[in-house]
Amino acid sequence: MNSIGSWRYTTLGILLTALAFFIIVQMLRIQLSPQAEALRDKGELYSGTWRTLTPARGQIYDRRGNLLAGNRTVYEVGVVLGEVENPSTIALALNAVVDADYDQVFAAASTEPSGEAVYATLARFVTEDQKQRLDQLSDEMELAYGERGDSNRPSLAGLIFDPRLQRSYPEKDLASNILGFVNWEGEGFFGVEEKFDNELSGFSERVWIPFDPNRVEEFPDVPEGSSLILTIDRVIQAEMEKIVESAMEESGSESATIMVMDPETGDILAAATSPRLDLNEFWRYDEVFEGSTPFNRVVSETYEPGSIFKVLTMAAAMDGGAVKPKTSFLDTGSIEVGGTTIRNWNSGAWGPQDMLGCMQHSLNVCLAWVATQLGANQFYQYMQDFGVGRLTGVDMAGENPGRLKLPGDEDWYEADLGTNSFGQGVAVTPVQMLMAVSALANEGQMIFPRIVLSIIDDGKQYNTSPRISGEPITPKTAQKLTDMLTTSLVVESSSALIEGYTVAGKTGTAEIPTPFGYTSNQTNASFVGWGPVDDPRFVVFVWLEKPTTSPWGSVVAAPVFRQVVERLVVLMNIPNDEMKAQLLEGQ
Amino acid sequence: MYRVQNITQAYSQAPWRKQLQWIGLFMLALILIAMVAGIYLSVSAQASSAGREIQIMYAEMEEIRRNIEDMESQIAFMTSNTSMEARSQELGFTRVSSEDIFYVVIPGYRKPDQIEIAGSPGVSLPEIPTVSPEYTQSLTDWLSERIFNPASLLVKEVEP
Repeated sequence: MNSIGSWRYTTLGILLTALAFFIIVQMLRIQLSPQAEALRDKGELYSGTWRTLTPARGQIYDRRGNLLAGNRTVYEVGVVLGEVENPSTIALALNAVVDADYDQVFAAASTEPSGEAVYATLARFVTEDQKQRLDQLSDEMELAYGERGDSNRPSLAGLIFDPRLQRSYPEKDLASNILGFVNWEGEGFFGVEEKFDNELSGFSERVWIPFDPNRVEEFPDVPEGSSLILTIDRVIQAEMEKIVESAMEESGSESATIMVMDPETGDILAAATSPRLDLNEFWRYDEVFEGSTPFNRVVSETYEPGSIFKVLTMAAAMDGGAVKPKTSFLDTGSIEVGGTTIRNWNSGAWGPQDMLGCMQHSLNVCLAWVATQLGANQFYQYMQDFGVGRLTGVDMAGENPGRLKLPGDEDWYEADLGTNSFGQGVAVTPVQMLMAVSALANEGQMIFPRIVLSIIDDGKQYNTSPRISGEPITPKTAQKLTDMLTTSLVVESSSALIEGYTVAGKTGTAEIPTPFGYTSNQTNASFVGWGPVDDPRFVVFVWLEKPTTSPWGSVVAAPVFRQVVERLVVLMNIPNDEMKAQLLEGQ
Repeated sequence: MYRVQNITQAYSQAPWRKQLQWIGLFMLALILIAMVAGIYLSVSAQASSAGREIQIMYAEMEEIRRNIEDMESQIAFMTSNTSMEARSQELGFTRVSSEDIFYVVIPGYRKPDQIEIAGSPGVSLPEIPTVSPEYTQSLTDWLSERIFNPASLLVKEVEP
C-alpha cells in the first residue's frame, strides 16, 4: 500500500512539475515573441493620450491698460459616432445654429463607427451662445421625444463640445491696422500680431497623459505667451479714427491717414487710417481690402509727400549753412536744375523773398534753388540722416522702406535734386515722415517711433526705453525752423491754427505719379505739424489721398490738423498758452 | 550511551507539538503577507484616488484659466470705448472743449510715468514652499536633520 501510494505521489509530483515548467516556458515564449512587442506597444498606445498643451496667447493692452486683444472660449463640435441616433437632426441643428453645411454634417455624422472611425468633427469655432442654443435644443428634444432607443426620434445624442481659446478683439475695428489679426490656426497677420507672433503665442508642448491614475505625473509648466502694452491711447485712437472718417467724407478722399506721436519719447499715440477691419471677422479681409489696398498704410504705403518735404530741405540747408532765415531769393517763376525746368505750384513768379516767404508761399523754385545751394551730396546726406529711404524699425509688420534715389544710382539724374527738394520723386511712408519731423520738434534729436511700451513675460513687466535715432540737425536749427513755420502759419492765417495754442506746421500738395507722368487733377494732400511750440507734446501727420472737393493741402488737410489738435489738447490735458503762463506765474 | 538517549528523549517535544509550531509559523507568515498585501492595496487605492483627483484638478485648472481669459474678454467688450461712450451719452455727459477745462497746479503731484500691469523684473518675492518637508523627506533625511542640525527645529518655530 505504501509503495503504491508513494508511486502515485511521485507521478503526481512529476506531472505538476511538468505542468509548471510548461506554463513557465509558455509564459516566456509569449513574452519574448515578436507579437508580444507589438501587443505591448498597442497596449501602451491605449494606456493614455498625447495632448498638446498650448498656452493662452498673450494679451495686448493700450497705454492705459485697456484690453485691445484678448482670448475667448470657442468650441469644436463633434460627434461620438457610436452614440449618434439621428444624423439628420444633428445636421439640421448645426445648419440652423452655426450655419454649417447640411450635407457635409449629415455625411460625417452618418459614418459607420468602427475601430478606425470613432469621432467626427462637425464644426469649429462655435461660440458660447451657439453652444447654449444647441444644448437647449438637445434638452427640448429629450423632453419632447422621450427616452433613448427609439431610432426615429429627433435627437442630438452623440454631440460633444471641445472648448479652446480663440483671439478676440473687444474694440472691434479700433486700431485694427496696428494690431493685425490671428487666423483660425493661431498665426498672426499684420501689425503687432505678426511682428510679435512668436512672443505672443508662446511655445506649445506635447505631453503624454496616462489614463492610469497611478502613473499620473505633474504637467509641465507651459509658460503663457508674452503680453504687450502698446503706446497707443485708445481714446485718442478712437477720436482720430472718427476724424479720419469725417475728413474722408468732407474732402471726398479715397483714404485718409492721421498719426500722432510724442516727439520726446517717440510714442505713437494714434495711427488711424482707412479702411479698417473688424478683427473679430478677419475672414472678411478680401472684402474690405480690395485689390492692392494695404492693410496698414501707416507703414506699408509710400507716397510722394510734396511740400511737407520742404521742411526737411530747409532744415538741411539752414543746418548746412547754405541759407539763413533772412537770405533773399528772387523768384522769377522758374528755375532749371539738371536740364529740367521747375515752376511754382501756381506757375507764377513771386519776386523777392526771404526764406520765411519761400516756406510761407511754398515756392518750389525757391526750394530747388536752396537745394542747389546746399549741393547734392550734402542734401542727400541730410535726407539719409532724416531716415528717408530706410526702415524706421517701428514694431509693426510690413514696413516699406520707401525710396530715395541717390547720386550714383542708375536712375538718379541731376534734375532729381530739384524735384526732391519739394517732395517729388521721393517716396516715403507716413511713419518715416513723422520720425523725420520729430527732429524739428525735439531740439534736433530724431526719435525712433515706438509702438510697444512694455512686454510682460513670465509675470514681469519689461518697459522699453525711448531711443534716439540720430541728430540730423542742431537744436538751434530746429528752433529756427519751428519759429519760421509758426510765423508762416500765423501770417497766412492758416486754417490749421488753433485758438489759444501756438503750433508750427506745413501743408503739402503733391501730384500723383502715373506711368504717363504726373496727374494734375489727383493729388495727395498732407499736413505735418507740432505743438505747443514752447514744449512740443505732439507731432501730427495728416494725409488725404486724392481729395475731390479741393486738391490743395491748405484747403483740405490743414483743417483736419486743427480738428486733431483741438481734440488732442483736451485728451492730453494741455492748457492753452495763456493758462499755462498763469499756472507758471502761480508756481 | 543509553543514558544520553534517555535524556534526549526526556527533553524532546512531542511530534504533535512540532507540527503545531510549524502550522503556527506558517499561519503567522500568512497573516503577515496578508497584512502587507492589505496595506499595499490600501495605499495603492489611496494613491490611485489621489492620482485621479490630480487629473480632475488639472482639468479644472485648465477650465478656470480658460474662464478667466474668457471673462477678461467679456469685461473688455462691456467696457470698450464704443460702449463707454454710448453709456456716457445715455447718462447725459457731453464732450468738453479746451475752453471748458480749468487747470489747477497741485504742489507735489507727479503724474505716474507708466501703467504697471505686472511686477517689475527687479522685484521678486521669495518662494514660499507649499509642501512641508515632512511630506517629502525620507526617514534617514529626517533623522540626520535632527541629529546633525537640531537648531533647524528652532528656526522653523520662529518662521511666520
